[in-house]
Amino acid sequence: MAQRTVTVASASGLHARPAKLFVQEAVRLGVPVRIRVGEKSVPANSMLGVLSLGATQGTEVTLESDAPGADAALDALVALLAQDLDAEGALDG
Amino acid sequence: MRDDLLDPRAVLLHESAADRDEAIRRCGRALVDVGAVAEPYIDAMLEREQTISTYVGEGVAIPHGTAAAKEVVRHDAICVVRFPDGVDWGGEPVTLCVGIAAKNDGHVRLLAALADILLDPERARALREATEVGQVMKELRS
Repeated sequence: MAQRTVTVASASGLHARPAKLFVQEAVRLGVPVRIRVGEKSVPANSMLGVLSLGATQGTEVTLESDAPGADAALDALVALLAQDLDAEGALDG
Repeated sequence: MRDDLLDPRAVLLHESAADRDEAIRRCGRALVDVGAVAEPYIDAMLEREQTISTYVGEGVAIPHGTAAAKEVVRHDAICVVRFPDGVDWGGEPVTLCVGIAAKNDGHVRLLAALADILLDPERARALREATEVGQVMKELRS
């Protein structure tokens, strides 16, 4: 099981815009990944699941996958969470 | 979900809108009417939607303003606006909008509570198909 732990950097947490960008990337990558806060684990490609985590700035989240390509996918998703996705101009969104 | 976030007057269950922008304006108006936000928040909601869709799945969208518009938020609040005939939301049919006004991190907890409801198919359906204000209040407060 590949696993990464990262702290949510977006100023307003993992909510609408940052959550959407994260989920879109998880869908695009096509590798099944789960995102976990404490005991609660949800699929990274589910908008509702990610929102239900209620992660705010500074929340530690863990990404996990045992699928082929897991390492590259986790690295890409960790890189997203580690930047402030609320900043206008972050990515293309 | 916090009890004071949803004013029963901000629950509108029999609305119709020709398109997404009209639906968002209806939500913004509901938030203005209960004194949660000032008028400019409505344009900020439209602006946010153009940047990225607030569709979350299960026929539900959660329109809200840009980060810059937090200045015109007077207090945290949500509105629940139902469009029984549906609204085309960039290709997705939306029948329920939960409009959000929040300062700081208040909305993240609020969204988490809403997402938990929507992840439960029974509760999601009860919310989408509610015809009485009391049903909505009950779902969101339990």
